[in-house]
Amino acid sequence: MASTLETFSNELAAATESAGQCVVAVNGRPKTPSSGIHWRAGIVVTTNHTLQQEDDITVTTPNGDTLAATVAGRDPGTDIAVLKVRGLQIPVSEPVEAASVKIGHIVLAIGRGITASLGAISSKSGPWRTWRGGSIDAFIRPDVSIYTGFSGGALIDAEGKVIGMNTSGLSRGGGLTLPASTVTRVCDELSKRGRIARGYLGIGMQPVRLSSSSTGLIVLSVEQDGPAHKAGLLVGDILIALGTTPLQDTGELQSALSADLIDKPVVLNILRGGQKTEVTVTVGERP
Amino acid sequence: MTSSLTADLAVAAQQLALSTVKIREGRNGIGTGVIWNRNGLVITNAHVVSGRRVTVETFDGSIYAGHVKIKDSSRDLAAIVIEPSGLSPAPTRAALLRPGELVFALGNPFGLTGALATGVIHQVAPVAGLGTAIWIQADIRLAPGNSGGPLADAQGRVVGINSMIAGGLGLAVPLVDVERFAR
Repeated sequence: MASTLETFSNELAAATESAGQCVVAVNGRPKTPSSGIHWRAGIVVTTNHTLQQEDDITVTTPNGDTLAATVAGRDPGTDIAVLKVRGLQIPVSEPVEAASVKIGHIVLAIGRGITASLGAISSKSGPWRTWRGGSIDAFIRPDVSIYTGFSGGALIDAEGKVIGMNTSGLSRGGGLTLPASTVTRVCDELSKRGRIARGYLGIGMQPVRLSSSSTGLIVLSVEQDGPAHKAGLLVGDILIALGTTPLQDTGELQSALSADLIDKPVVLNILRGGQKTEVTVTVGERP
Repeated sequence: MTSSLTADLAVAAQQLALSTVKIREGRNGIGTGVIWNRNGLVITNAHVVSGRRVTVETFDGSIYAGHVKIKDSSRDLAAIVIEPSGLSPAPTRAALLRPGELVFALGNPFGLTGALATGVIHQVAPVAGLGTAIWIQADIRLAPGNSGGPLADAQGRVVGINSMIAGGLGLAVPLVDVERFAR
């Protein structure tokens, strides 16, 4: 009779083998290939920072087949790139909701060529914004080695379900996992539109304290002919709110400028020369 | 289940410790070795031994004079012979290793005796820059004193001899190569 440890070991190996069938090598940079996950039929997701060329990209399946791939879209904000691959005959990954993932859960990072490393969920919290402005549904940091070529690969649970895509490109302190819901959202939008649209005002700003309890965003630069320039916003204006959304740091403004506001007018509540006033801006799309 | 897991690991580690030895050579550092058969054959890495005479210390503190019989530097293996008396050879496993399966190592890193490290099989394949030889690549934290020691599966059966660290991965010589060398 197999020991509990042996059974557990066999289960980890089975999970690796199963999930590993969905992970491909992405040959999209000069030396070491990165990894990618077969996310939807004929669609492979990988990390944007490891995709260093636009042409002559191929993917290699676990059984060694190499197929041509084309870039459907890339989003530096979330570090996700989407590839279209014709004739990809491997299983599509099975994602699991981040809500079921808890600190301490045992996980495996799966890379190209069916390679694995073992660890546990180290940290998990709510939505966050990357330093490049991308919106991520949950912060997931696994205590697991992200070896060279592992970026773009899968983080799986002990049953082989895909928690998300691993990347070493969004944090200096080790690898992070982009949750499956974020990968799906960005993957679908990149597949459809080729880009992630984000609202844009064309201003540079920084937080400024207005009183002991309130903060605004002071405008430091206004892009010539940008949306804010056309609306008459001036250097020195202090943004207090966008519509009814208070603005206390630049992240709040980035979050408020969602894609559905593009080409629509929004009201900015500002302080100009100490007086409250309103400026209506037609939101542009970030270049 | 958790208590069974830890108990199983403890049992497997204790069993493997019976056939894991400490190898010293003069004032050089400490390496690790594996008792391979009842005839006194001990396997370690070629880079652990530079001369012909070494001392071998078993789990119970018994110290043996060891004679380095043969070395294969290309595969980083060495065979040492000690006086056979009540030795416990290591159980081995030749079956295919699967990425993701649990492995553990015993060794003497940083002067520690019989230190345990746990991990999983990363893959079994050649390593870029190390020729065409097949290596067991393990996601496991090893240190120099692990050299020559056993890499074992969840049942405590030796699957390879730990040899080096590359790219953060522990590299072990596969059992098939060790057996060929030991014959």
